[in-house]
Amino acid sequence: MIMERMQDHMGAAGGSPALTIDVAGEMLQLLPERALYWARKAMLLVADAHFGKAAAFRALGQPVPHGTTASNLARLDLLLAAYPVRQLVFLGDLLHARHGRSTDMLAQLREWRARHAALQCVLIRGNHDQHAGDPPEELAMQVMSEPWLQPPFALCHEPDSEVPPGYYTLAGHVHPALQLAGPAFEHLRLPCFCFDHNVGLLPAFGAFTGTAQVHRQPGRRLFVIGDDTVWAVP
Amino acid sequence: MNAAARFDPAAWLAARQMTPFPFQHEVWQAIAAGESGMLHATTGAGKTWAIWLGALAQLYREPDAPPRRGKLLAPPLTVLWLTPMRALASDTHKALLQPLEDAGLNWTLGIRTGDTPAGQRAAQQRRWPTALITTPESLTLLLARADAPEVFANVQMVVADEWHELIGNKRGVQVQLVLARLRQWNPALQTWGLSATLGNVAHAQDVLLAGPGRLVAGRLDKTLQVDTLLPANLERFPWAGHLGLKMLPQVVAEIDAASTSLVFLNTRSQTEIWYQAILAARPDWAGLIALHHGSLDREVRDWVEANLKNGQLKAAICTSSLDLGVDFHPVERVLQIGSPKGIARLLQRAGRSGHAPGRVSRITLVPTHSLELVESAAAQRAIAAYTVEGRTAPDKPLDVLVQHVVTVALGGGFVPAQLLAEVRSAPSYRTLTDAEWAWVLGFVRQGGEALTAYPEYHKVAPDEHGVWRVPDAQIARRHRMSIGTIVSDASMQVQYMGGKKLGTVEEGFIARLAPGDCFLFGGRLLELARVHDMTAYVRRATGNKPAVPRWNGGKMPLSTELADAMLAQFEAAARSEFAGPEMQCVAPLLQVQLAWSALPTRNSLLIETLHSREGTHLFIYPFAGRHAHLGLGSLIAWRLAQHQPMTFSIAVNDYGFELLTPTRFDPAPLLGAQLFGNHDLVHDVLASLNAGELAQRRFREIARIAGLVFQGFPGAPKSARQLQASSSLFYQVFRQHDPANLLLGQSEHEVLRQELDVARLDAALQRMATQRIQHVALARTSPFAFPLLVERFREKLSSEKLADRIARLLASLEKAAGGAAADPHDSVLFATQQPQPRRRSRVRKTGRPTRGPE
Repeated sequence: MIMERMQDHMGAAGGSPALTIDVAGEMLQLLPERALYWARKAMLLVADAHFGKAAAFRALGQPVPHGTTASNLARLDLLLAAYPVRQLVFLGDLLHARHGRSTDMLAQLREWRARHAALQCVLIRGNHDQHAGDPPEELAMQVMSEPWLQPPFALCHEPDSEVPPGYYTLAGHVHPALQLAGPAFEHLRLPCFCFDHNVGLLPAFGAFTGTAQVHRQPGRRLFVIGDDTVWAVP
Repeated sequence: MNAAARFDPAAWLAARQMTPFPFQHEVWQAIAAGESGMLHATTGAGKTWAIWLGALAQLYREPDAPPRRGKLLAPPLTVLWLTPMRALASDTHKALLQPLEDAGLNWTLGIRTGDTPAGQRAAQQRRWPTALITTPESLTLLLARADAPEVFANVQMVVADEWHELIGNKRGVQVQLVLARLRQWNPALQTWGLSATLGNVAHAQDVLLAGPGRLVAGRLDKTLQVDTLLPANLERFPWAGHLGLKMLPQVVAEIDAASTSLVFLNTRSQTEIWYQAILAARPDWAGLIALHHGSLDREVRDWVEANLKNGQLKAAICTSSLDLGVDFHPVERVLQIGSPKGIARLLQRAGRSGHAPGRVSRITLVPTHSLELVESAAAQRAIAAYTVEGRTAPDKPLDVLVQHVVTVALGGGFVPAQLLAEVRSAPSYRTLTDAEWAWVLGFVRQGGEALTAYPEYHKVAPDEHGVWRVPDAQIARRHRMSIGTIVSDASMQVQYMGGKKLGTVEEGFIARLAPGDCFLFGGRLLELARVHDMTAYVRRATGNKPAVPRWNGGKMPLSTELADAMLAQFEAAARSEFAGPEMQCVAPLLQVQLAWSALPTRNSLLIETLHSREGTHLFIYPFAGRHAHLGLGSLIAWRLAQHQPMTFSIAVNDYGFELLTPTRFDPAPLLGAQLFGNHDLVHDVLASLNAGELAQRRFREIARIAGLVFQGFPGAPKSARQLQASSSLFYQVFRQHDPANLLLGQSEHEVLRQELDVARLDAALQRMATQRIQHVALARTSPFAFPLLVERFREKLSSEKLADRIARLLASLEKAAGGAAADPHDSVLFATQQPQPRRRSRVRKTGRPTRGPE
């Protein structure tokens, strides 16, 4: 049975800040910080962080302000403080581009890593990672090719990766968002989690990233993020 | 005539059995006296020769050196001839070449636009022609050459053709900055403009010349006739989305009766629809009628223009792409389908016909909805009174300046104090403050004062002599690629699977299609096959598949002059006076409007309210044009939403706007001076902007011009993939991390000035303050309200908390899905009550699980 339960702390507006759902028999917590927590394994999953995207623009002469890396890391810090995380898994696209590997950004990442030295970090290699290269040694990241099997899940970057039978894919890459529409021509586009029968998609974690629209369809479970709350879409 | 010591224009014309017009003599005298100036006329020939023959008389000197090895070198670059459209360049070339060849003058003439092939460019670079025909963008590119000072050293005269097309926009500002630079190199530079008549010619001249000059009025020899195709029976409900195809039989009959016609429409998608419809009505015209709009491939457009000129075509269905320039002598009739929006535009289009001697220029308006009959009557009245709109130059757009400063840094470098004086000599930047200048320098140097300097970013930096240059070759190359101020939607190539290119279409439109969907393009019904690397691959659609309509375009607002003329017609109608065939035809509709509601006048403001299933509707008709209505709509919505949290969607047209909210409320007690006053106008409009999305959209253009968003190298879309970020992302990042960025300020300023037309908005509010409010609670939709009610393009404004909106939207989804949850807060619980059997993953033979619903 699929069950959706509310977290202990209820959201003020009626949604709940985080939502616990059943996926492939495991209880997963969908977090409004655009991450997913798997309590049984003490594992935090984050997709498409795209660190260094703003720096990549600057390197090529586009004046993008500082602060996106810092705000992404601050959000990770909050999550690591709130949940007893043993393993942090990046589902691909950790670094945006080779151009973006600025010393400044890497220094921030190193400093962040030093503060969480005990944490195990795993990176599932994605399309941008192939371009940007593996992260430097001192970030102490275990780099895996997709799929990384953590039964019942196959952890991937791309949702259509080949996975062995019986596994449920958890992936990023798509940057899913859902458009909610109502009467009087009202609509809102919000980043979302998207769970199909065999594949679940995480929203992009990076602040400086775009989104791609997904649609409601039978058998698909969607959870939008808005106002620091995760909302189940009927 | 052989080469003489000097060129004599009058003698040359006389040799061709022509007598100079008085205005041509006046221009020649002014040029001979070393003056600059502007020549303006509504229609009529002889403008080009007035300037060009004058320039030759002033600047041509017979070479005194004997030919070396039989070939005499022509003088260096002396005259620049600016044209707003590439398409005009070749015809201008032909016209300018004639006297050079006839008189055997030792001048060379060249074209340099985006279409000029590489070989020709290289040849020009070895030896520049004496006179060069070019566009503002290509000229700016020349300015970015390291040897720019030498290339332009001998330029004596710049001619800006069709200046009325440039004055009011950022391309015109680009021209101002180029001229400021050329005047530094040659203070005696003569500048001449050619312009259609504007309501404010003196301003147009001042902006171009940046100093004193001669204003010459051209010959007005043509009479103008404006009439209307009257519909057989009138629709009582004018529908803006309706394309007026009901008028098709009459339009076909008009085309049939004339030798060659131009049929103008306001948007590209409408030309496609009309082209199909006309062809369906007259299959025998296949090959005799053609489409012409800006998205079509260059080759196709050239073919259409050539065949219009030699009279091979019966009709061309076109957009403003054929507004300008070359004269198509065979054109006998001009039809304008839909509102011409303004009197100047109407005059310009009318001038495309009747070029043969002794013929009148005639334009026939074809109404696409009933209220356009009133527009037509009003336009005729305004033309009779000779009321023409003016155009104003933009006020110091910083994005154009940022681009220009990098251009100058590439073109030999600059010393800031000198460049500041030069920039301030351009009329649009006369009031540039020291602080704004410092910000521009900071922005090009390190991305802005508010940012901490970061080592990886240095666009422009001073060298050891204090001259600012671009040190990085890659940045230089990327800057050259992005020069220009025309910002369109990101466009995609449309190409057959076999490889033949058809043209370009807005990316946003293709994004809405799925493979297999059909759309009209280039006169064909096409089926989208796939999208790859910014190219939409298509095939011919087979069978009877419906086409997906395109809704963009048509942004030009109704001019104040035309709107006021319309209100005057309504006032007469309210007195039951219906003068002229158009007003008599539309009388039944106006009588329904009078019976169910009222007619707006210059003294009364009509407000209608209506409650429907959607919620509460508020219709207001200030007749201030769509841009000002957008501003008014946002402003009024924001002020209403201060009373209680509400979400509005705003629909606008040229006559009025609608505010629609799902909340039921009675607006009647709120409709007072408090709502319509112009107190705190800018503050309230800015506040309403923050609640809406307009500034963000405006930011797209600014980000592009200032070089924030790089559109990629042509033919190499992949290499730029790491650079793809939408301007909306930039907007959010800037707002969050660099809120003092002046480009954000500029986007707000431009939204105020252009998108919302704040000057006109202020004028509208001032007028509304003096007007009597006439509030009608509608029992059913009035004829005026109907087109707004069905308008699908809407702005949004909300004072509700995001969480409340999400909860409400989810609840309405719930309801649509048949759920019983009336309380939006129950939505999450609802999900727990809908148990679904968990299905086992299906596995394909490959061992790969299938995805998606089973």
